[in-house]
Amino acid sequence: MDEHSPLESPEGSWWDKKVNRRETIWLGISGAWAISIFGWMLGWTEIGEQNQMGDTYKLSTEKFQQKVTEFKEEADTTTIDGEEVYVPAGEDVYIGALQWAWDGLPVVLEAGKTYKFHLGAYDVQHGFSVRNEDNLSQQISLQMLPGYEWVLDMTFDDPGTYQVVCNEFCGTGHRTMHGKFFVREET
Amino acid sequence: MNVSDFTGTFEYDEDGFRTCGITGLNIHKSAEDMVKLFGVTAIVALLVGGTFAFFVAMTRWELVGLLSPSDFYKYLSVHAWYLLIFWMVFMEIAILYVGGPFVLGRRLSLPRVAQAAYGMMVVGALTITYGIWRQKPPNWAPLLTSYVPLPSPAEFYLGVDIFLLGALVAAIPFLATIWHWKNANPNKTLPLIAFGAFITSIVAAEAIIGGLITFVPAFFWRIGVLGHLDPAWYRQMYWIIGHGSQQINLLAMITIWYFMTHVVGGAEVASEKVSRFAFVLYLFFINLGAAHHLMSDPGLSMSWRVWNTSYAAYGAMVASMIHAFAIPAGLEVGRRRKNLGGGTFGWLWSSPWKDPGFSSTVLSIILFGFLGGITGVMMGQMQLNMTWHNTLAVPGHFHATVATGTTLAFMGLSYYVLRLVFGRNWIGGIIATIQPYLYAGAMSVSVLMMMYLGILFSVPRRHPTVMDIPGTEFSFAPGSPFFAVFGIAAVFAILGGALFVAIAVGTLLFGKRWRGDETNTHGLLNAPDSVEGEPHDSSMKGTFILTGIFFATFVVLYALNWYLLSQIWQIGP
Repeated sequence: MDEHSPLESPEGSWWDKKVNRRETIWLGISGAWAISIFGWMLGWTEIGEQNQMGDTYKLSTEKFQQKVTEFKEEADTTTIDGEEVYVPAGEDVYIGALQWAWDGLPVVLEAGKTYKFHLGAYDVQHGFSVRNEDNLSQQISLQMLPGYEWVLDMTFDDPGTYQVVCNEFCGTGHRTMHGKFFVREET
Repeated sequence: MNVSDFTGTFEYDEDGFRTCGITGLNIHKSAEDMVKLFGVTAIVALLVGGTFAFFVAMTRWELVGLLSPSDFYKYLSVHAWYLLIFWMVFMEIAILYVGGPFVLGRRLSLPRVAQAAYGMMVVGALTITYGIWRQKPPNWAPLLTSYVPLPSPAEFYLGVDIFLLGALVAAIPFLATIWHWKNANPNKTLPLIAFGAFITSIVAAEAIIGGLITFVPAFFWRIGVLGHLDPAWYRQMYWIIGHGSQQINLLAMITIWYFMTHVVGGAEVASEKVSRFAFVLYLFFINLGAAHHLMSDPGLSMSWRVWNTSYAAYGAMVASMIHAFAIPAGLEVGRRRKNLGGGTFGWLWSSPWKDPGFSSTVLSIILFGFLGGITGVMMGQMQLNMTWHNTLAVPGHFHATVATGTTLAFMGLSYYVLRLVFGRNWIGGIIATIQPYLYAGAMSVSVLMMMYLGILFSVPRRHPTVMDIPGTEFSFAPGSPFFAVFGIAAVFAILGGALFVAIAVGTLLFGKRWRGDETNTHGLLNAPDSVEGEPHDSSMKGTFILTGIFFATFVVLYALNWYLLSQIWQIGP
């Protein structure tokens, strides 16, 4: 019988037994790594440019839909590639997700200007998944909940077309839920 | 020829006990019967879930494009529930009954309760299946998450409640067994395996209670008793079970790692103190780690999110890193002390690599760490989560943890359950030897492809078609070569899984009697410690080098993920 078997009750004062030197070093590495990655994440909220932090408001889905409608009414329109797009009147951009479309899109934004994105859903949960068409790894996903309005600052440096798909399952039409926005150099 | 020759089962003494010739455990029939029942049911669930995996993978590989979008979600739901939940949880109950009654040499307390729990779990599972299968609008397929307010069939929520309650009840006989053992042995410490199983049961109970808090109101909401469920509340409650169920897998798997490396490889406990400390870290921290599902959600403050991914997730990460050292170190010192290999890696080369029980376990340890563990920490960082959230990289992550790591560990255990519990040697010869390598290799390639597609090509999860999005020219076509590799690897992985089921079922039906002797126990039976002193006196240099490689990989992947994030436009203040 193996007295150091994990199937046997350890004999005597197992807490006081020595730990191998290399195992002790590994414990130190693990602890230091945990503190390092925590510190990095916390530090990024100060020095980093990508932090999904912004105010959230609880409101009815009707109220949010009304805000998106007002946004569209106040916005100018222009034509890009034969498609009519909204030009936001100010710094606010409202995007409402619904089964199965994007309300408030498409919009055209100025590169380098900071916008407040107001994200919300009209019916069920949706996902705001955006990527730069020319650089697919430039991409993010944010959750959109009915009854909540999430306000996030966004500033785009790279002009181009940003493709939006829903990435929270919202029924069989989920795959058809597509929108986009454009980022243009200042004119 | 008596009956036991025919059934392959063992004979018990008049008290219902027998002594296992390999592990030396005193096993009671009451526990063994339930281990067989839960174990075989788990393998049936694996068969169903694996069959549905084929349909899911062959739909996402759009060159094949097997299912229509509505069928896709139905099949995906069945696939998810049978593999992520039924295959896992039935096996975990079996593991509790091994870790408690088997290891402690006791009968299973309250066997009737265990039988009732089994019945509830089966009824729950079938009700869930019925709910998924009869889904039609206005209901939708639940997938794994069934986020409110998207409605799923009422039967589905009811089935989940019954199943969860059954799983909770199934833990009671285990806990009662521990209780009776402790009363009989007030001054003894639980063996490490039993301690791991005990922590598993606590973490499981926490998760399941969270699940009931989520799914009982969801059922009443669906049948109209409750008018409204807040989607943010649901998400926070849901993930207590949604991720908590996967933490049960993790703890059960690690317990199995200690068990299998010992039984098949001759491992010893490198340090009781360190390994137990790591289990205690899990007890306090791992369920809070589920907060990482809410990193890209509205409504939660930055400090809530950072707090829950820092003290909580990293308490669990440190625990996993400790086990990642302690388990190979246990194998290293155990084999060194039995003179089964010297030098830096001699203990590893001399290991029984042809034994699928051993190879499954080692592949599980390596792949869970490199592919599953590292990626889990990545997406648990608040900001990196934005780049992972709901992309195909997320299924990539949990197919690395659950479908590769844990599944391999459970396969490895099953090979030994066939031998040590059913008393049958596995059939298949070289095919059984190859099976873990085929499954592990093919799964590794397919999960890597899913992660690449998610992170580098921003391909969303839960989409039957990303090469053709109705109403737009835009598509994810640049990712199609990766999908081709994914599809081919998935076919091989499913073949590897099918081989396992075929070997398991074939062994039960046609396997030869197995009683264990020198020819198939890798010389461990007659290899007592040849070295004086304690395990911690032996060298762990081989393990130190291996974990060093792991740590270097971790740091490099961490840096790469942050580099990719830094290339994104400015978000937030």
